[in-house]
Amino acid sequence: MKLGNMLRDALRALLHKPVTVRYLTRAGEMVSVPERYRGKIVYDKEACIGCLLCIRTCPSGVITTTEEKKVSFNISRCVFCAQCAEICPTDAIRLGSDFEIVTSEKEDLIVQ
Amino acid sequence: MNTVIILLITFPLVFLLSLLFEGIDRKVHARMQKRIGPPIIQPFYDFVKLFNKERIIPMTASSRIFTTVPIIAAAASILGASIPVASLIAGSNVGGDLIIILYLLTISPIMVMIGGSSSGNPYGAVGFSRKMTMLIAYEVPMLICILSVSVNYTSLAYYDIVLTQVKIGSLLALARPSMAAAAAAFVLCMPAYTETVPFDMSEAKTEIVHGSLVEYGGPYLGLVKLAKSASNFALSFLAVSLFFYTPALLERYFSPELGGAMLLCLVTTLIFMVFTMTVPRTIFARLKIGQAFKFYWLVPLTLSIISVALSILGL
Amino acid sequence: MTEKFDEVKEVKVDYTRLRVPLGPVHPALKEPISLTVTVRREEILDVVIRLGHVHRGIEALAETRNLIQTLYLVERICGICSHSHTTGFVQALEEIGEIELSDRSLHLRSLIFELERMQSHLFLIGIMAYEIGFDTLFMFTWYEREKILDLFEEITGNRIHHSMNTLGGVRWDLSPSFVEKVNCSLNKIEKSAKYIQEVFQDKTVEKRLCGVGVLDYDEARELCVVGPTARGSGVKVDIRKAYPYAAYSELKDDFSVVLRNTADAQARTQVRILELFESINLIRAILEKLPDGPIYKESVIKLMKKIPEGEATSLVEAPRGELLYFVRTNGKEGLWRLNVRTPTIPNVLGLKPMLIGSEIADIPVTVASIDPCMACANRITVVDQDKRETIVTDLKNLRNRGKKQ
Ligand code: SF4
Ligand code: SF4
Repeated sequence: MKLGNMLRDALRALLHKPVTVRYLTRAGEMVSVPERYRGKIVYDKEACIGCLLCIRTCPSGVITTTEEKKVSFNISRCVFCAQCAEICPTDAIRLGSDFEIVTSEKEDLIVQ
Repeated sequence: MNTVIILLITFPLVFLLSLLFEGIDRKVHARMQKRIGPPIIQPFYDFVKLFNKERIIPMTASSRIFTTVPIIAAAASILGASIPVASLIAGSNVGGDLIIILYLLTISPIMVMIGGSSSGNPYGAVGFSRKMTMLIAYEVPMLICILSVSVNYTSLAYYDIVLTQVKIGSLLALARPSMAAAAAAFVLCMPAYTETVPFDMSEAKTEIVHGSLVEYGGPYLGLVKLAKSASNFALSFLAVSLFFYTPALLERYFSPELGGAMLLCLVTTLIFMVFTMTVPRTIFARLKIGQAFKFYWLVPLTLSIISVALSILGL
Repeated sequence: MTEKFDEVKEVKVDYTRLRVPLGPVHPALKEPISLTVTVRREEILDVVIRLGHVHRGIEALAETRNLIQTLYLVERICGICSHSHTTGFVQALEEIGEIELSDRSLHLRSLIFELERMQSHLFLIGIMAYEIGFDTLFMFTWYEREKILDLFEEITGNRIHHSMNTLGGVRWDLSPSFVEKVNCSLNKIEKSAKYIQEVFQDKTVEKRLCGVGVLDYDEARELCVVGPTARGSGVKVDIRKAYPYAAYSELKDDFSVVLRNTADAQARTQVRILELFESINLIRAILEKLPDGPIYKESVIKLMKKIPEGEATSLVEAPRGELLYFVRTNGKEGLWRLNVRTPTIPNVLGLKPMLIGSEIADIPVTVASIDPCMACANRITVVDQDKRETIVTDLKNLRNRGKKQ
């Protein structure tokens, strides 16, 4: 039973830099993300063979087929589980490091 | 006539200072929690923002009381804060004595309380009963402290007591044992008056959703907040100039100009406020109403009574 | 007629009583639950608890999807214990499909499990501090939690929904450099856990937690509360010991079940703080023993096709307590029925005996001390908006529904 246990640390925190950081969105200033980070989908259209396995496993109906037997992604529905990247036989899908995906243009959220 | 003009000038000064002090308080609080915290002028932004918002009066509220109460609260606490500041600027007693100041500073919590209970919200009612209990808990020791001061110096005029400190060239709190006890009791009452953790149960956010403030929004909330920060500032300023008037210490070496004394006093107020409001609210958890009441009637009340007894004995 | 009249006359109106609605939206509650509390001054006389504000229909949704899609769906039942949910689900599937897992994947599963338990406990400890108005402790605790979330981000690529589990194993491996990193973070976390333990013995904190929300041993047994809530009341329940899953049968000796007898909010918080140390021990043991081997079997699509029709139950010890999954597959990659019993369901029942007789100021502390996860607990209520009525489906109806399909 002690009183004012935190006094020392609270005062010490005054002298140190705060641990929170400003949220910066400009390229180059954003916080770095680890290697395995699952961000916005990067799709390599050339590598895709149109097997549609990704559509079968995607949990949230992100992926639709296109006329040329390829796929297109509607990122606004994506939950970034990376199941599509895992299942793709030719590694045509990769989850990049881009996490700043808020936009006012719907088209920006379609990856083809 | 002169005093009225000085009083009028101090109004905007007090307005700016109290919001600025609140900003500093928030910043220091944030830094103690390892956060960046809001910019220091955030309270000004908030004030302007709240005034641009819609006025909402709940259907269950008795609307007259609900809307006038914040105005009275803000006016009373700004006036209460201006009197000591103006007295220091004018170098004489302005407006009234200590009892008036304390009375004005008590109006604002009571008004907010009434406003909260007139809103018809059950949380407002719980906030009312808690605030009432706290008011009894801290007002009594606080008034007894003032009584002790007046017994000692046979004066209730604010500026006289400041002058006394200048004359004896020391802080009142250090002058006599009775005054030390009074100052200690007064300081202990500060967190309860300013409603900061550990004594903020009357507007505990996680328990009763800000109690009396629960239905307030828009300009009314802005006024209530202004009233709160003005009376926080006023009480700190009062406590500092009554018990810890630091310019008095320097009087011996040089006589500081009016601006210098004022500035020194304000800086002391800021430090005082950080230690009586910001630090407790950073390092303690909120108490329950019963525990807080017990604390106030055990420690500060005893201290203040001791102080009165000592001053009657002439110590 | 006269009888009724007499009855009405006898009712005394008690003006000292005040009915205070707490929730569904209230700053003390992180998720919607409605408590209608009758108080006299500060004392609580009666509580009515109502759930059902965040019913999401996940069980029904699961029946329309294939197994892999459901895996990511059940993960989203709860953000804080997402790994527990997927483990429960995947274990049931693996039992149906008789899939053998490699030792390494089992150990990795347990590792993430324990990291998640620490993360969840730190989360709650922070919330407790916040409820009693101790914002600084809240910030400090969550800063520690951030370290674990960063570990998750590095190991699995996401902070909350790590999606570590997959059919027949886990998805991401732990390279030696990660082992080093986890060890390094553990040391830091252990130090700060000790600090947090110390701060929780602060006098103002103890004043708020001791003797609050008491649920004694017998009542705890009767209501079948689970997890830290039960252990705080001295009931020795821990699925990790009783029905070991993942790698826990091999790790039996590396941890002990923390029990407290005071049965109040303080005891429950203490159990959580001490479990942090148990988890740290467990993770160290896992990292030491980590066997070599593959981490998953084969393509999930192939595995999914192999799963026959059948049903299974699986139990895991989620951070909040026992979590039960009942899964019935239809042999065509889909589900006939998914039933989840989250730990909050029994724990919420404990709220009423805890609250009656205490003060208003204790409500947030008591509610937080059982670590409720409302969104997980809302499921079997059917709300008919046109008729303005609520039907709570019973077990028989549910069974019939399972049979029909
Ligand atoms: S799984 Fe890969 S190859 Fe197959 S359709 Fe999708 S992106 Fe193309
Ligand atoms: S990451 Fe998940 S949700 Fe997003 S497209 Fe891939 S499978 Fe679908």
